[in-house]
Amino acid sequence: MIMGGSGEKPQLIINGKRTDGRVPDELRPIKLEVGTLKNAEGSAYLEWGNNKVLAAVYGPKEAQPKHIADPNRAIIKCRYQMAPFSSLEEHSRSGPNRRAIEISKVTKEVFENVILLDNFPGSEIDIFIEVLQSDGGTRAAGITAAAAAVASSGIPMKDIPYAVSAGKAGDLILLDLNKIEDNYSDADMPVAIAPRNNEVLLLQMDGSMSKEQFDSALQMIKKAGETITKIQRDALEARYR
Amino acid sequence: MKIVLPGDKISDTPVRMENAIVENGKTYATVIGMMDESRGAFIPLESVWYPREGDFIVGIIENSKNNVYTVSMDSPFRGLILPPPRPRFGGRGGRDERFGRHEERREIMHMGDIVSAFVKEVKREADQIILILDRPRRLTGGKLIEVRPSKVPRIIGKESTMLRQLETGTKCTILVGLNGIVWLNGEDVPLAQKAIAKIQEEAHVGGLTERISELLENKGR
Amino acid sequence: MIAENEEYILGLLGKGMREHERGQMQYRDIKIEIGKIPHAEGSAMVDIGNTKVLVGVKLDVGDPLPDKPNEGALITGAELLPLANAEYETGPPSPEAIEFARVVDRGIRAAEVVDLGALFIEEGKVWSTFVDIYVLNYDGNLFDAGTLASSAALLSARMPKYEDGNVIREGSLGKLKTKGMVTSCTFAKVGRNILLDPNANEERIMAGRLTIANDENVIRAMQKGLSGSFSYAELSNLIDTTFDNSKRLRSMLDSAVGE
Repeated sequence: MIMGGSGEKPQLIINGKRTDGRVPDELRPIKLEVGTLKNAEGSAYLEWGNNKVLAAVYGPKEAQPKHIADPNRAIIKCRYQMAPFSSLEEHSRSGPNRRAIEISKVTKEVFENVILLDNFPGSEIDIFIEVLQSDGGTRAAGITAAAAAVASSGIPMKDIPYAVSAGKAGDLILLDLNKIEDNYSDADMPVAIAPRNNEVLLLQMDGSMSKEQFDSALQMIKKAGETITKIQRDALEARYR
Repeated sequence: MKIVLPGDKISDTPVRMENAIVENGKTYATVIGMMDESRGAFIPLESVWYPREGDFIVGIIENSKNNVYTVSMDSPFRGLILPPPRPRFGGRGGRDERFGRHEERREIMHMGDIVSAFVKEVKREADQIILILDRPRRLTGGKLIEVRPSKVPRIIGKESTMLRQLETGTKCTILVGLNGIVWLNGEDVPLAQKAIAKIQEEAHVGGLTERISELLENKGR
Repeated sequence: MIAENEEYILGLLGKGMREHERGQMQYRDIKIEIGKIPHAEGSAMVDIGNTKVLVGVKLDVGDPLPDKPNEGALITGAELLPLANAEYETGPPSPEAIEFARVVDRGIRAAEVVDLGALFIEEGKVWSTFVDIYVLNYDGNLFDAGTLASSAALLSARMPKYEDGNVIREGSLGKLKTKGMVTSCTFAKVGRNILLDPNANEERIMAGRLTIANDENVIRAMQKGLSGSFSYAELSNLIDTTFDNSKRLRSMLDSAVGE
């Protein structure tokens, strides 16, 4: 997983700037379009830096197979997958690996929180996230895109979540890690938040962080959330202008 | 009119309505919609169908077992057409003067048949919500299309004006199921389909009626 | 998705009509865009009507096939993604997806779109070319969309370098060496009618399907699918129709890849 095949750790910060020229609390450019796929109930295409992600939602429909149905609420099936050609590195095998299965699970849990599942007992809602090009932070991009897809579908939800990661290079907190930063950073922490009440719906972390660093990472994420939420809002409203 | 997104507050007081939730005494939208502030009304732009008694639906016969038809409606709800009640008098397939012979009161249907009906009862069963359907009618020929349930009111229009305009302009019979399935049959089905697609795309833009009559007059060209 | 009413489609055909107001031998609108996925060595998105297909091409250093020690490898896969259609399911590739990938593979292989001989690196080392077809939205005729997108992605692909045991994928790179170009035309038999570029509704009720891939006046691959049959006369006509239509498809490919 190392760029150019060399094992040496690159310098992540030079003169206060990151490898792609950003300052520490700067998001990559984000472009979001809603309604890209015609067959889905709701869909979204998101470009986030060099990440390119498609999300689509189908349902609610009768849960299949029958025995997985929950008599009291809808169930969500979620699949996150990376295209075999998505990375700048070598071709990857298609099909779910352990990483994709875990991301699918935690993504599903984000949407179990915000979608009003009680309205549809015995049914299922399917969320599909396909990463067409990857450059670090694809789970956050996937959740942000899927949230817009669900919001465009008419499936009731109590809020539109967003996701973004923060990490650490040395003692410096960085927002929205790209692939190189992700590979060499000292910590990575993807977070999803329902902005209305600032509820944290996804939180993962690996590396090392002090309590203070965690606090400032979360503050950075919340501030970035305002920008991401605005992008989601603009994309959804654009369909009806 | 302001566009409202899921999670946006639409009232500082608790208002029980579809497509909204009440939290801590305030009301929040759960779907994308428009807020008509002058009337205090929230109009969903997208929504799923919540069945109610009396709703008209279009579906497909999926199964028939023990004289009960299962109707698929492209929704999480399963429709059932129950056998007609046995007449109280006249027994053994005999004649009841008031109802006619009960076997005659129901058409025989097969898997794949298109059917229209009304929701008689919304019933919460052990594992899902079941819709008991009433007044089934088998529809022959024609074409089914899917529409977004939230657009159905626009396809029908105020006092069915839009629907009548569509039917006249295309010489079609059009049955609009609230479940989002529409049956089209008649002379210019492709034109009717085109017009309905346009209504769905532009439901939120003013002057829709004029644009649709223009489309119909020009036969879609 | 609701199943199409066969009677209706046949009724339209009886009146000489087709959904979306087109002729029996007429394509829907076609759009070809290359370079959608810069991380891949080559990529192309093709829209035929509402059908949307993305192809990504990657090159990796690998082992040659035992019977072709001096040639690179070509590996084509297709995924009918569940986000493309309510009826597609997750899980291992279906027979339909495998047939689809193999038909596209045969066309690009037979037309020698990729110059496999140029992919030899050294004894026991060659470049493997991975062509992955991603179906993003299904509305019929995946075969032609897949073949067009694969051709466009390969014809516009970069050639990575292999230096001191490292693969170099960025910087100044040449292009993947290609020889031919291939396009295909797919026909559906619906009742007694034959339709070019069937949409999903037409495919749901078709009895037979025929794909002809060609490279100017050379047929490169054919595949008949489903239980319906075609007569000699029909086949002969459809080959002519394919040759005719391929001129336009080829020129669309040419302008998309900028040649």
